[in-house]
Amino acid sequence: MALERMAGTLDEETRIELKNSLSELERLSLALEEFGDRRCLPLKTVMDVNLALDEIFTNIVSYGFPDSDDHLIKINLLIEGKELNITVEDDGMPFNPLEIPEPDLNVPLEERKTGGLGIYFVRKMVDELRYERRQGKNVLFLKKKII
Amino acid sequence: MKIKESKSGAVIILDLNGRLDASNSGVLEKKLTDLLGAGEKYFILDFDRLDYISSAGLRVLLMAAKKANGAGGKEALSSLKEHVREVFDIAGFTAIFPICSTSEEAAGLF
Repeated sequence: MALERMAGTLDEETRIELKNSLSELERLSLALEEFGDRRCLPLKTVMDVNLALDEIFTNIVSYGFPDSDDHLIKINLLIEGKELNITVEDDGMPFNPLEIPEPDLNVPLEERKTGGLGIYFVRKMVDELRYERRQGKNVLFLKKKII
Repeated sequence: MKIKESKSGAVIILDLNGRLDASNSGVLEKKLTDLLGAGEKYFILDFDRLDYISSAGLRVLLMAAKKANGAGGKEALSSLKEHVREVFDIAGFTAIFPICSTSEEAAGLF
């Protein structure tokens, strides 16, 4: 019984739904903290995932919607073995973050720009990043090794 | 995020407490812009109680550093926690900002 219950818990998907408002970043971090605590994830993994999802979410909210309507951004978290598989789904304008060029980090302060830095963080924080446009939605897949 | 402001000689010290992300980076941006507008150009940002920073926070720090440098001043950072430091490293910001272990050490730069 105990084993079954444990297996059930591990397969369970966790869903976080956020409104398209930057004030939701706090709820995102609290939800991830709670998820990490419940699943006993290393703090480093949770922090990395928090930064990646923060940057993706901020990007969607800031540039994804041409209207001023309410939208939901849906995040799914699933632990599979030693991997954390995450999807982020939004119904905003098509946007493939993998097409954003990497920023030039080797320039002096005066010439530094911050454009593209957020997406660069996403790439650095996860082990795999994949994008699909599916049924009018942007779906981003992230894979993070749990170490 | 809470910002506590103090002044030591010509140096403005901003003590940041909490998380710095896109939901509140505008508050820090306004604070720094107002101070720069009032002629201040020497800054220490004390990160001792800052738990988190995203690219939105880095953008504000870069903007202020450029303006402070342009005015002949300086912006130094102190007491970065490990994962905050890591974000700076990844962004290549460790190389372009003076970063000190303590705010006292940072004060020695001015």
